[in-house]
Amino acid sequence: MKWSSNLQPQTESIMIPSFDYKTPKTLQEACDLLQEAHGKAKIIAGGTDLVIGLRNGDSNPSLLIDITSLKELRRIEETDETLSVGAAVTHSEIASSPLVRQYGIVLSKAASEIGSPQIRNLGTIGGNIVNGSPAADTLPPLIVLDAIGKVISRDRERNVPVAQLVKGPYETSLKPSEILVGVSFKKLSQDIRSGFIRLARREAMAIARMSIALLLQVQEGKIQNIRIAPGAILPTPQGLSDVEEFLKGKSPDEEVLRIASRKVSEAMIRRSGIRPSAPYKAPVVEALFLRAMRRALEGQDETGRS
Amino acid sequence: MEITIKFTINGKMVKVEVPPHWTLLRLLRERLGLTGTKEGCGIGECGACTVLLDGMPVNACLVLAPKVDGRSVFTVEGLGSRDALHPLQKSYIEHGAVQCGFCTPGMLISSKALLDKNPHPTQDEIKEAISGNLCRCTGYQQIIEAIEAIDKDVRG
Ligand SMILES: Cc1cc2nc3c(=O)[nH]c(=O)nc-3n(C[C@H](O)[C@H](O)[C@H](O)COP(=O)(O)OP(=O)(O)OC[C@H]3O[C@@H](n4cnc5c(N)ncnc54)[C@H](O)[C@@H]3O)c2cc1C
Ligand code: FES
Ligand code: FES
Repeated sequence: MKWSSNLQPQTESIMIPSFDYKTPKTLQEACDLLQEAHGKAKIIAGGTDLVIGLRNGDSNPSLLIDITSLKELRRIEETDETLSVGAAVTHSEIASSPLVRQYGIVLSKAASEIGSPQIRNLGTIGGNIVNGSPAADTLPPLIVLDAIGKVISRDRERNVPVAQLVKGPYETSLKPSEILVGVSFKKLSQDIRSGFIRLARREAMAIARMSIALLLQVQEGKIQNIRIAPGAILPTPQGLSDVEEFLKGKSPDEEVLRIASRKVSEAMIRRSGIRPSAPYKAPVVEALFLRAMRRALEGQDETGRS
Repeated sequence: MEITIKFTINGKMVKVEVPPHWTLLRLLRERLGLTGTKEGCGIGECGACTVLLDGMPVNACLVLAPKVDGRSVFTVEGLGSRDALHPLQKSYIEHGAVQCGFCTPGMLISSKALLDKNPHPTQDEIKEAISGNLCRCTGYQQIIEAIEAIDKDVRG
């Protein structure tokens, strides 16, 4: 489903075409159903993208497979080194999870700003990834966290970096028989700061709903490590490695940040092609980057961490 | 083709036959006669269709009926009746928070969801709680005041 923040009046006269609906109780059963449907089934999680898509006739499945009862997809779990979040965990659950706040605050922050309370109670992280919108808010945090997606089908299991799961706008590398089970990332250590900034929905009406996620490690006044990923700016989720390289080893003073912000907008224009909207977007992207850097430098997003 | 689902609606167990492609909103309005819940946009943007699903506010226009099987749904009809208004309903009326009334059922449900888990919300928490509910008439201030007044009542 492609969504915009414009209010489009619709009526019940636009009916959803009919389909069969199954709620498997085990992952194995879900995989079997999907395999046997030979591409005619679709997975439904929260349905916040899919139901609108069905109404719009974007797809016409004969079967919906509801994965929200599968316990493997509903967990937030930690090991010594990693944190994993099940694909069917909702944005509300992510935003209120102490584990995510502690080890991946950049993701909690993004989840807490999605849509509205109603949307966050339904929408899941897996749906957000697989829908593949360039404006999906969990993607920039997952990119800077180098998150890995776990994907399963009846005969195979594989791990794919989230950056490679989304191939283009509304296009993923998942096969019709595959289910995203969850994502995992290395727990952030206490000395890594994060910043997430997005244009609020109201501000975002006129232009795309841009955002910036970043992780930052400063030692003795110098940037040791940095990861930057913009949202709703590039056709696929990706980090800005050239800007990251520029910043490494430098002290984050005004001048350096100003040059870096230029590089961010240049990278955006270079990678997304010059569109008529680029001249309007450039200063907004630069300002967003500077705000996210400031948040990270001042540790404003860290308040929830113990 | 219809499927049978069982769920709790405003505290009462019901069993209904419903086509799986119906939304919860349509099921409530067209099968169960519960027309308090409104359809505004039909695409999750306006909040007029807000109901509680297992205690949490959701957009009924985005929930397919089979999803509520075995769960509990709460609508504005469960809040109060004409003769026995819920304190929130009284407060909305007293504060002029109801004008055309189209957004009101959804607003009341979002307000209830907030107060159920946070009886003493701040102005910002109230604004956040109703951020998924659009109102074209009031400019929101009266609604915020109506919710705040409940808080004060509880505190005494
Ligand atoms: C009013 C409104 C506001 C919104 N605001 C925002 C916002 O601010 N930011 C934002 O990022 N998004 C927003 N969204 C979009 C949407 O809510 C999110 O993308 C949400 O996370 C989608 O998750 P879901 O569980 O509802 O997905 P669904 O609609 O259930 O599924 C989406 C797609 O993913 C597939 N899928 C789901 N789970 C899996 C899985 N585990 N394995 C394989 N395939 C799967 C489905 O088949 C479908 O194609 C908004 C939507 C609405 C209606
Ligand atoms: S009718 Fe459901 S949100 Fe508008
Ligand atoms: S009172 Fe008219 S929309 Fe809110």
